Amino acid sequence: MKRFGPFVFERRLAPSRTTVIGVSVAAVALALLVSALIFWGYGVNPWKAYVAIAQETLGSRHGLMEIIRRAIPLILCGVGLALAFRARFWNIGAEGQVLAGAVAASGIALFSGILAPWLLPAMFGGGFLAGALWGAVPALLRVRFAVNEVISTLMMNYIMIYIVEWLIHGPWKGATMRGFAYSDFFPDAAKLALIPGTRVHWPTLVVGVAAAVVVAALLARTRLGYEIRVVGQSTDAARYAGISFFKVMVWTMLLSGGLAALAGVGEVAGIHYRLRSPTHISLGYGYTSIIVAWLARGSPLAVILTALLFGLIFAAGDTVRVVLQMPFQIVSVLNGLILFFLIGSELLMQWRVRIAAKGERWTGRAGSSGS
Amino acid sequence: MASGEEVIVRETRGGAGRQCGGQGVARKGGLDMKLLKLMAVVVAALAVVGTVGLAQTKIRAAFIYVGPIGDYGWSHAHNEGRLIVEKTLGIETTYVEFVPEGEVETYIDRLVAQGYNAIFTTSFGFMDGTLAAAKRYPNVIFAHCSGFKRAPNMITYMADFYQLYYLNGLMAGALTKTGKIGYVGAFPIPEVKRHISAFTIGVREVNPTAEVHVRWIYEWFNPAAAKEATEALIKDGCDVFAFTEDSPTVVQVAAEHKLPSFGHYSPMHAFSPDYCVSGQLVHWDKIYVDFLAKIQDGVYTAKNLAHVDYWWLISQAAAELGGESGLPINPKFVAALKDKIVDTKVFGKISVYDLVFARLQQMGDPGVSFDPFQGPIVDRKGVLRVPEGLWMSYDALGGQGRRRSVAGRAVEFNTGWAAASPQAAASSRSRCPGEDRCMR
Amino acid sequence: MDWQGWLVGIVGRALAFGTPLLWATLGEVYAERSGVVNLGVEGMMILGAFSAFAVAQTAGHPGVGVLVGAVVGGAAALLHAVMTVTLRANQYVSGLALTLFGLGLAGLVGRGWEGTPLRQALPPVTIPGLSEIPLLGPMLFQGQTVLTYVGLFLAVVLWLLLWKTRWGVVVRSVGESPATADALGINVFRVRYLAVVFGGTLAGIAGAYLSVAYRPAWTEGMTAGMGWIVIALAIFAGWDPLRTVGGALFFGALYHLSFRLQGLVAPELLKLMPYASAILVLALVGLRSVRRRGAPSALGLPYTRGER
Repeated sequence: MKRFGPFVFERRLAPSRTTVIGVSVAAVALALLVSALIFWGYGVNPWKAYVAIAQETLGSRHGLMEIIRRAIPLILCGVGLALAFRARFWNIGAEGQVLAGAVAASGIALFSGILAPWLLPAMFGGGFLAGALWGAVPALLRVRFAVNEVISTLMMNYIMIYIVEWLIHGPWKGATMRGFAYSDFFPDAAKLALIPGTRVHWPTLVVGVAAAVVVAALLARTRLGYEIRVVGQSTDAARYAGISFFKVMVWTMLLSGGLAALAGVGEVAGIHYRLRSPTHISLGYGYTSIIVAWLARGSPLAVILTALLFGLIFAAGDTVRVVLQMPFQIVSVLNGLILFFLIGSELLMQWRVRIAAKGERWTGRAGSSGS
Repeated sequence: MASGEEVIVRETRGGAGRQCGGQGVARKGGLDMKLLKLMAVVVAALAVVGTVGLAQTKIRAAFIYVGPIGDYGWSHAHNEGRLIVEKTLGIETTYVEFVPEGEVETYIDRLVAQGYNAIFTTSFGFMDGTLAAAKRYPNVIFAHCSGFKRAPNMITYMADFYQLYYLNGLMAGALTKTGKIGYVGAFPIPEVKRHISAFTIGVREVNPTAEVHVRWIYEWFNPAAAKEATEALIKDGCDVFAFTEDSPTVVQVAAEHKLPSFGHYSPMHAFSPDYCVSGQLVHWDKIYVDFLAKIQDGVYTAKNLAHVDYWWLISQAAAELGGESGLPINPKFVAALKDKIVDTKVFGKISVYDLVFARLQQMGDPGVSFDPFQGPIVDRKGVLRVPEGLWMSYDALGGQGRRRSVAGRAVEFNTGWAAASPQAAASSRSRCPGEDRCMR
Repeated sequence: MDWQGWLVGIVGRALAFGTPLLWATLGEVYAERSGVVNLGVEGMMILGAFSAFAVAQTAGHPGVGVLVGAVVGGAAALLHAVMTVTLRANQYVSGLALTLFGLGLAGLVGRGWEGTPLRQALPPVTIPGLSEIPLLGPMLFQGQTVLTYVGLFLAVVLWLLLWKTRWGVVVRSVGESPATADALGINVFRVRYLAVVFGGTLAGIAGAYLSVAYRPAWTEGMTAGMGWIVIALAIFAGWDPLRTVGGALFFGALYHLSFRLQGLVAPELLKLMPYASAILVLALVGLRSVRRRGAPSALGLPYTRGER
């Protein structure tokens, strides 16, 4: 606790939900203020800019649908990462796991011969499996070979990227693609339904929301969830409790990888309808969802909200580029700014300000008076 | 401008009409005059209707690029074309850069909502998205670059370099001392393979035993990868370099080792005034200005574009030889090129320098009397692909290369190739889309 | 087969491509040794690359550019330090934000600077005398720039610093157990600030090397993901400066080979070879000793006084 004049700064033990939201909103508002300066510096009227953004993103059905569409892969990846981060397993490999799902789904769609209505479920199932396996490898590497998961997941991203390149340039190159590096188009039975008039592949959305609910329940109600949380909090406590690291790590990554892979299935079955260049399938979802998961403070249900928030941020970025005609790098700068403010505000959430009570004394020692 | 001018002609299958594509066979024969007159009337009628429709509204053009305009390669060149359009035609234009392939429809939606009525999508991967959008917005005109699907309101266009690569190949063959020529390619897609094939044909014409070594970097833009690929080629003994990727890295690296190279896409002579021999330059504005002017004049509307395809080459000035505009060959290399003499069928004994300009002339005049892909052409395995006296058809050109070409010694073709008579192929190459119909 | 030629080629290219990796990883190693993960390496590198290019182009002198690149990299890292050390923010997310911000800012300010090569690039040096040695001469002492040799020298210095001096103990203890270090009177915050900014400075120099020496030009996004490799290399090297040299050379050599061998092996498989090899090596090492290569215990955790 610190005192400055009549103000007392006290630590909170655990910030309440209202505090978290309140401070976050304030941080974003501050970021928007600074962004307004950037707009102004570019000769764009900030007020007009924000009005335009609001209109384009929130003010039309098309805009809202775009937000949802952008959020879908982030929900799935974010839930998977929230799970992994709860176990303190730094899964930086969601990018590769998304692609693993895309590859499996494409393979099943093009070559398995399964017919509707089983084709799409098979694609989702197969995709989940592929991502689960791809994610389990770093877990095994960590538990058995003490390989740090940041490097193993990162490296496996690159490996997966080149596997996809090999497929689309080689064995899976489409016969109808005239020599270009794409797989053939999927049969109609492998294409996800869209909300009419939009590009929103809603089955994936349903899967994402269901996943969030399931994972939330898993964490809160099941033994595995409990073990994950303990491992994440303290390795010593986990050891004393007799929890098997191997089991927890592998299960966590099976689920985390599988969920990210479902995002990949959604992308190829809902938007692209074929396998194409890896950097055009996964648009940095694996890295963005790290932030999505963090913003949600590890709560799978909150991931839905933060993913939508990022969908909004992306859609706003599009508006900035098309309507306001600003260079695309501006979007990265603005996103970075918003993040900085959000991150910086974390500290604020842990402190509380109040007026000193009459006669209250400060003992002058750090860490005292119940903080 | 006569060649490259498109007029709509309805085709009759099998018969005296000109037919391209399908199996890629172009047959000899004239056009049915009655049919032509009838079509002229239809065109006029359409023009009137179309003019009424579109000429009243101002054109607002939007350009969608797949990469950043700062790449000094593909997207940069398209943007330069756009800027010239603004200056020449006074049309209001805008652009969006760095658009992923799957997102093109979203951006088109936004642009159309902003009132843009002529949209150019500049990457093959945008094809299906553009087509879907074209169906949804029948009153907006779309133009897709490097693709093959069209619609009543969607054209395709491309300025191709294979002729320039052939000319560069002639020079490379003359300048190589080790007999190994390096080529850095981005992705093994038809466009790049076409370039490599044409380049190799040129090299072999001057130097029958020379080899073209290809290294793929699997990215359109990664200077470090391009540099390491070039260094690897140098270590393998290559001493002349060409490339298809979006950065001047290869030119710079070759220059560091005092080796000659050929620029690509944008003027790269400045990156090595001593070692950049020549190159390929693109002028997208030629296509853009022609197309947009025709829209302004009402020749093209949102209804009559289904058979419009710009496949523009040297003769339409969309492609230019050189490392810098107006400088086809670096003066420092003129002497070396004049010294090397080759024996050709058409010209007899001629220096490479003169051969380059002779070929340039042949390909530059509207009659297009020469094409790098004219027979006889034998592939890597020794199989005769294009017999003597015939030319490779447009369709085979476009779909070149089903399999990967690795360290090419000869050239590789699509198994679905076919050949055509020189005249037919020439005119088809400069005008015919190859798919189902063609235009004059 | 001309194995001598191959050896000279591989080592030479490994040194050239490995130099920016070496510089940036050395910096990252120090930052992480003090307990702070910095995923913003890509952002710092590209800011360093652009500022170095812009200054070198204007001033006509590459060395000045490198210095400015260092300063800019350090400044960017300062932002990360403020976020993570003072404001106790999540280090991973702060680093990601820095990467995002840095890439955007460099690209934004750099618009219009493409298209012209650097007037005066950092020239390659040939070390007199040493370069005459057969085989080793051309392999190690020809064709590299000053920055390569300075980087190698720096690696040795930093290793000595980390393991043989009191400074090193201080940094390491802050990374292993900040509470203990704090109790011993070490200013944890100051040490972390210094380490992070130092890391940023080196990353800035790495970026400067790219735009001033390796490929003397500027293009948007020219670091092309090198920052992520740096982060992986810091781990690969076991957070040790000398092993960093080995790791950078290892990666550089494999990267070169992924192009050199394309005539023999499918290109896509070759391109994934460096990354798969890194994992393989780590797995093999992990088979033998599980302990020695551990990360600093407090890596990634913000430190608050009065808190465990």
